[in-house]
Amino acid sequence: MKFNTVFVVDDDKIFHFIIKKLLITNNININPSYFLNGLEALEGLKNKLNLGENQPDLILLDINMPILDGWQFLEEFKKLKDKLKKEITIYIISSSDNQTDLDKAEVYSNEVKNYYLKPISVDEIKSIFLN
Amino acid sequence: MEKISNSHSKLLETKNDFYKKLLFQSPDLIFQFAISKEGVLTFPFLSHSVITDFNLTHEEKNGDAFTVLKSKINQDDFKLFLETIQQSKKEMKPWSHEFRSLHPEKGERWYKGVANIELENNGTYNFIGKITDVTDNKTQELKLKLSEERFQFALEASTKGVWDLDVLTNKVFYSSQSMKMIGFEEVDTIDTINKWDDRIHPLDKENYLADIQLHIDGKTSFYENLQRVLTKLGDYTWILSRGKIIERDKDGKPLRIIGTHTDISIQKDKEIELVRTLDIFSEQNSRLLNFAHIVSHNLSSHASNFKMLLDIIEDETDEDNIDEIFPYLKTSSVALSETIAHLKELVEINTNLVHNKENLNLKLYLDRVFSILSNEIILNDVKITNKISDKFTLDFNACYLESILLNFTTNAIKYAHPDRNPEISYSLGIEKNDVFLEIKDNGLGINLEKYGKKLFGMYNTFHKNDNARGIGLFITKNQVEAMGGRVEVESQVNIGTTFKIHFKK
Repeated sequence: MKFNTVFVVDDDKIFHFIIKKLLITNNININPSYFLNGLEALEGLKNKLNLGENQPDLILLDINMPILDGWQFLEEFKKLKDKLKKEITIYIISSSDNQTDLDKAEVYSNEVKNYYLKPISVDEIKSIFLN
Repeated sequence: MEKISNSHSKLLETKNDFYKKLLFQSPDLIFQFAISKEGVLTFPFLSHSVITDFNLTHEEKNGDAFTVLKSKINQDDFKLFLETIQQSKKEMKPWSHEFRSLHPEKGERWYKGVANIELENNGTYNFIGKITDVTDNKTQELKLKLSEERFQFALEASTKGVWDLDVLTNKVFYSSQSMKMIGFEEVDTIDTINKWDDRIHPLDKENYLADIQLHIDGKTSFYENLQRVLTKLGDYTWILSRGKIIERDKDGKPLRIIGTHTDISIQKDKEIELVRTLDIFSEQNSRLLNFAHIVSHNLSSHASNFKMLLDIIEDETDEDNIDEIFPYLKTSSVALSETIAHLKELVEINTNLVHNKENLNLKLYLDRVFSILSNEIILNDVKITNKISDKFTLDFNACYLESILLNFTTNAIKYAHPDRNPEISYSLGIEKNDVFLEIKDNGLGINLEKYGKKLFGMYNTFHKNDNARGIGLFITKNQVEAMGGRVEVESQVNIGTTFKIHFKK
């Protein structure tokens, strides 16, 4: 398996369900941790570090979220980077095709590997998890 | 004896000669003019200069003087000329009169005639005197009179004030308009320079002194300064003061400065109004952008949920699994309807340029909101302090007012601090003629540095709260702005939040 520990960060619970379903129907045997905003994800990540648990190797990140949005999460994530034992792949999955968001993703090109636009297709899910 | 009479007659002859020369050759125009008992006018004597100056023929010189006068004196002046002659004859008083006459070479000239009058035994009146060309003086005098009249007219008709400073005495002439600008009686006034200078706004004084120094030092060709000046009524008016040194002493020190005052408070007010309007437009513009962003984001996120859920259903063969998906489709559809309702509400606020305004009693509306929220208020043990006078009214849309008050109050309860009972106080404040409602709570507070920009954005929430949806403040702000007002916020984390709702003045 390409990834073992996966974080899904999105304020939309329906999207959590969709990811869960897509993984099952495509026989991808992964059980991601789900977070409703950037802050929850950040706390989840710090928790794993503190407890010495397996840190995630993939984060699927939404942009528009309450409390701590995707960009703010990335800003905090940069500060944690030195403490990480291995590289974490981050994909943005957002419904925003706003140019300012697309440009911003370029700024975080060191952290963000790719930008997927919702709705995400089965082929895209496969390419993220299988290829 | 003979010798004596001889020398006497010789002396007399020499004297006569002298007088003759004086009379005939002097450049002065000397004349004798007689009116006989029968009313016949003659010139018994005219000096040589009179004859040449007026280009008189032999016949004219010896003929009827009335005809000569009539032909030589300007038609408009002739009647008055005769009248003054009659007047002085009647009163036996010296004659003096100014009149115009056509000079053969120099054109129309002004002359001044003066003469003594005497009555002979035979009833003839004799006028003996001289005529002087006063054209130069006369035009000078006319010019002066005209320019003075023009200046006076300009002073009165102009909306500008005029000032004239005597640097040595520090005395200033202030025209009536200058006085009017600062609320004094509209009359020309002479007073000290302090009459004006002491009224200049403290914040403008430094610039004013600097500007005048620049001109005194010759660095500017004229002095110009924009200043706020205290009026008699106690408020400030914007005045543009300009001037120029028109006289310096031999060392170059200024002696006299003349200038104008222009009341530009109307322009200034318009400028401020313009900036405000621009602000509103750029606000509206950014709201539109925000709106476009919301439409694209919120609607497309619902649409993509539908698409993804339907994709899963399409690939799924197991009935049970399909049934599992339906509640999510339903949730998505409810959320979509809700988003559309919010957007519709926003469009209505932003496109209805003419909103129904009524005169509303603020206290009445607050009380209504408290009764709507009475359950929450009792449940959370909220302490409410209402300092709004029951006399205060405002022109506002009734639905918006209720929605605004409801939203701020709900927020204050929703984001209460877990360690203490919520307290909300309502009071009125005034800022530059602008009345505002202050709603102050002791709740969680918001980190404005971090979230200030997003505070009034749509679907932005900052607290981990189950029913935080982030739509309320966005709609509230739109409603206030649609009424021409604005919302200000002050907040400190863990201390509380104060919203100031400025109503349109």
